[in-house]
Amino acid sequence: MAQTDQDLKEKLISSFFAFEEQMDLENDHHQMRDDAIKIFEEKGFPTKKLEEWKYTSLRPVLNSDFNLFPKEEKSLEYNDIKKYCIHDIDSYQIVFIDGVYSSHLSTTTHDKFDACLMSSFLNRPKYKPLVDKYFNQITPKESMDALNTAFSKEGAYIRVPKEVAAEKPVQILNFSTGSDEKLMLQPRNLIIVEEGAEVEVIERHQSLTENEVLTNSVTEIFLEKNAKLDHYKIQNDKQKASLIDSTYVKQAESSDCEIYTFSFGGKLTRNNLHYFQDGEYINSSMKGVTIIEDKQHVDHNTLVHHTQPNCESHQDYKGIFADRSTGVFNGRVLVDKIAQKTNAFQSNNNILIDDKATINSKPQLEIFADDVACSHGCTIGELDEEALFYMRSRGIPEKEARALLMYAFANNVLNSVNIPELKRRITKQIANKIGVSLGFEL
Amino acid sequence: MLQIKNLHATVEGEEILKGINLSIKPGEVHAIMGPNGSGKSTLASVIAGNEDYEVQEGDIIFDKANISELSPDERAHKGIFLSFQYPVSIPGVSVTNFIKTSINQIRKSRGLEEMSASDMLKTMREKSKLLGIDRKFLSRSLNENFSGGEKKRNEIFQMAMLEPKLAILDETDSGLDIDALKTVANGVNKLRTEDNATLVITHYQRLLDYIVPDVVHVLLDGKIVKSGDKDLALKLEREGYDWLKTETVNA
Amino acid sequence: MAYTEQELEKELEHKEYEYGFYTDIESDKLPKGLNEDIVRAISKKKNEPEWMTEWRLEAYRGWEKMQEPDWSNVNYEKPDYQNISYYSSPNSSKPKYDSIDEVDPELLDTFNKLGISLEEQKKLAGVAVDVVMDSTSVATTFKKNLAEKGIIFCSISEAIQEYPELVKKYMGSVVPKNDNFFAALNSAVFSDGSFCYIPKGVKCPMELSTYFRINESGTGQFERTLVIAEDSSYVSYLEGCTAPMRDENQLHAAVVELVALDNAEIKYSTVQNWFPGDKEGKGGVFNFVTKRGLCEKNAKISWTQVETGSAVTWKYPSCVLKGDNSIGEFYSIALTNNYQQADTGTKMIHLGNDTKSTIISKGISAGRSQNSYRGLVKANSRAKNARNFSQCDSLLMGNKCGAHTFPYIEASSNSAQIEHEATTSKIGEDQIFYCNQRGIDEEKAIALIVNGFSKEVLNKLPMEFAVEAQKLLEISLEGSVG
Ligand SMILES: Nc1ncnc2c1ncn2[C@@H]1O[C@H](COP(=O)(O)OP(=O)(O)OP(=O)(O)O)[C@@H](O)[C@H]1O
Ligand SMILES: [Mg+2]
Repeated sequence: MAQTDQDLKEKLISSFFAFEEQMDLENDHHQMRDDAIKIFEEKGFPTKKLEEWKYTSLRPVLNSDFNLFPKEEKSLEYNDIKKYCIHDIDSYQIVFIDGVYSSHLSTTTHDKFDACLMSSFLNRPKYKPLVDKYFNQITPKESMDALNTAFSKEGAYIRVPKEVAAEKPVQILNFSTGSDEKLMLQPRNLIIVEEGAEVEVIERHQSLTENEVLTNSVTEIFLEKNAKLDHYKIQNDKQKASLIDSTYVKQAESSDCEIYTFSFGGKLTRNNLHYFQDGEYINSSMKGVTIIEDKQHVDHNTLVHHTQPNCESHQDYKGIFADRSTGVFNGRVLVDKIAQKTNAFQSNNNILIDDKATINSKPQLEIFADDVACSHGCTIGELDEEALFYMRSRGIPEKEARALLMYAFANNVLNSVNIPELKRRITKQIANKIGVSLGFEL
Repeated sequence: MLQIKNLHATVEGEEILKGINLSIKPGEVHAIMGPNGSGKSTLASVIAGNEDYEVQEGDIIFDKANISELSPDERAHKGIFLSFQYPVSIPGVSVTNFIKTSINQIRKSRGLEEMSASDMLKTMREKSKLLGIDRKFLSRSLNENFSGGEKKRNEIFQMAMLEPKLAILDETDSGLDIDALKTVANGVNKLRTEDNATLVITHYQRLLDYIVPDVVHVLLDGKIVKSGDKDLALKLEREGYDWLKTETVNA
Repeated sequence: MAYTEQELEKELEHKEYEYGFYTDIESDKLPKGLNEDIVRAISKKKNEPEWMTEWRLEAYRGWEKMQEPDWSNVNYEKPDYQNISYYSSPNSSKPKYDSIDEVDPELLDTFNKLGISLEEQKKLAGVAVDVVMDSTSVATTFKKNLAEKGIIFCSISEAIQEYPELVKKYMGSVVPKNDNFFAALNSAVFSDGSFCYIPKGVKCPMELSTYFRINESGTGQFERTLVIAEDSSYVSYLEGCTAPMRDENQLHAAVVELVALDNAEIKYSTVQNWFPGDKEGKGGVFNFVTKRGLCEKNAKISWTQVETGSAVTWKYPSCVLKGDNSIGEFYSIALTNNYQQADTGTKMIHLGNDTKSTIISKGISAGRSQNSYRGLVKANSRAKNARNFSQCDSLLMGNKCGAHTFPYIEASSNSAQIEHEATTSKIGEDQIFYCNQRGIDEEKAIALIVNGFSKEVLNKLPMEFAVEAQKLLEISLEGSVG
């Protein structure tokens, strides 16, 4: 029998009850999960009829008979995963295999700050006040988010207390092993950066085989006053892996949050990255490099909601699309009436390498305050012809010159990456993707 | 013509002008000199009625009337002209259109008919020639992408068109090349009459070689600390302001 | 490879803009409501041939199955379509007033500010005028001049009678009769409108203006315009006028179709100043327009619009760049004040090779109004070397209004070059002070700065129109300061 998204929906709903039984029904979250599954039941999977999903159809990734709970626990050795983490830096690592925490691959901490598991966060009484304050507070009541909430059980939990600067970055690594032919995962992360605290996070989803996997991930991030977070998302998955990554950020006064999204692979990737500013002098910034090929599809859906005066936001997304790949940029800047002196910049630049590649871009400004400086720009298909000419006049063949320019085009987003090893890695990946030989080993 | 009495003004709560007294008679040229940040432009703005500055104390009498309560456009109607240190640009509005609007608004305030297009054109031609301004310049957007010198010339061109009673020139000389400086100074001199007065704010003696002042004032930290004849400017050029600073401290 | 008509039709299926309205009008003409009989009756009253009646009926049947769409950025009460009267004969419309003294003095004041002659004022306000009018005779000589060149310029009703082959061939060829809810409605019940045909190689010697025609027959709420420019011809067409148009019809759903055949050029300029409602946002026209032009090889269509009127405006004059080397342009000023809502922009559909489009949009919002730019630039994978440049600037005056930009950019061609920029800002305090210092008061200063902001678009209007439009912007902003 052919599988449809309808079948998957049925399966998810019926599995929910089984899932709930496994969990502690006395748990406070029972109600929350129950409400969430109702929302999902009502709304179903999003379709292209919704403005926010106009350019991305989930259909092709929903018509599989996914396993919702992995059949067997598979253990991995460090060598299996080494190449997928930034191994040459000192970091904490929170590793999940098929959605299950792997203690022997992880290095967690409760020392100066918490970098540990969502499951223990949700279940230990000592966390209760924090759970009440933060968990599921800023996740919108949309279908995919609700679905995640309904099945939320495991993921990373990071909390950096007041005035603490995390001494090393935290890597959140999600692996799928392919021991189930088709697997759907619902990781749920929570990051709290308290007043004056700082932390860097690297997040990756990676399948280790060519089996199908669909990850529906939700991350909630809170930055209190003067807090700072740099968060790097690395998306370079296998051909049959799809990802819906939803990240919701709430920022308090004078906090600074920078999120990078590097999308280099996977079948279908949808990134929802929404910022809610709740204080003055906030800086929110999001940067993205997308380089894809084949029939890959990457959709960046961003929102910055400016609700208070004197804040800034910066969006800078670059995309290079080859073969029949498609890119989507749907960026929204919303400036409330009282958010005077807002500076908001949004830029989306794209290059289509092949004639079958597509980009759909929809940069939007919705502005209700008058004393603001807001702008957006979007370009498609423009390499600097002058630079090209210059390079060719110095004897560089056109093909190489173009590649070099494209490399420069994508790479300048990396300028502000603060972890040198990471920067080097990404730079190298960009170079590989574009086929530029940098002539030196990074 | 202009009398300023014990003028105190603040911006964002900070006192910039700390008791200025100044009196200018018709036909006179006064120069104000003083180190950066001493309050020269602030004084000019306050005379012109910029509402960013709050007048705490003191009066500004112009043509026997107290103008302290008047809006900037009402003061302009009375004949006060400020050549800005940093003129702003207004995209899409041509120099011609701007001056036309300005002249007609001022005429209207005086109960006069609008100036006819042919008179307007004639005067513009005359004055642009006097100031060596290329006619093409007149159809460009006001101050948009003007060079520093072009902006200053444009200010003086407007002054020539409006024929104000009191012209305040805030560092009109900075940014002008030597020839332009001469042309502008010539222009200013030609426009001088028995009935109008000029207040020149400058850092350099050079301009005062051409526009010879009757009185030179030194503004230091929001106060006029010394006034004298044109030789004072020469002394400042040679010795700077330090001697005055010690003098005021000792006083 | 050139596009087939079928493919084109498919491209056009992309549902155009969607609009809505409510209305509450008295009419003693045809009974209220819409059904096949009413459509037949309209056609009969106009003495139309059978094929036209059928065409209207097909449109009606399509419309019946359609739903009035919901759009996010405009709020209005949807009308009851069965409570609208769909026909009022222009001939039977009596003058509203016997003498100019009865006309609202405020309206006359505006006429005077715009420099409109007394005769024209009477006509515009609906005052009975003498049979012999200046402009009628002007119109007659004007028509004679055109006829000598083979140019046809008449009402669409007349064209249906006199040039049925042309109408059959082109009407609905750019905006299919069931293109969208409002175009379908218009196709079923259109009252009248203009028809213009420029023969091969002819350069129309004067600006064609509906102004003359309006004087002859009065406008309708469902206007329909069709302009055909044959190979290598040129025409500049002006629609609307700067004078405020008071109309008891609250709903306006017009359709404009432009056909520019090989090497032809059509310049279409609009000044829209329908009644915007009062300061409290009561009343005002709902203006929902479908405007689209089709460019064949080397053809060029420029839309220029100055939109200051209407309570709700929803229009997206578009270009289908079907022929190689064709060019589409859109220059727009949309000014909203008080409670007005405008959602306007364009669609540039690049289908042919080496096609170019330019979009310059200036939005000015004041009062409690909402002003949105919504546009689509689409470069198909078969359109080689498509070029687009878009610039959308918004100016906000006060913080009770909103300015929004919703560009949709869809490219599937590696040779496409598309560049879109948008900015939002307010008038600088320092700019106002500078003007003040030169004796220009605040209201005048704002008018000056707004005019400067709009200059790029004003410059695209025919000279005499530009001057009027400039005044219009000024008048429309009156009272928005302080
Ligand atoms: N709008 C303002 N907001 C805050 N401070 C201001 C403002 N305007 C002026 N000031 C401050 O007031 C002081 C006097 O400034 P002003 O521009 O009058 O100096 P000036 O004598 O003209 O200097 P210069 O020779 O550099 O032109 C400076 O310290 C300046 O920073
Ligand atoms: Mg100064």
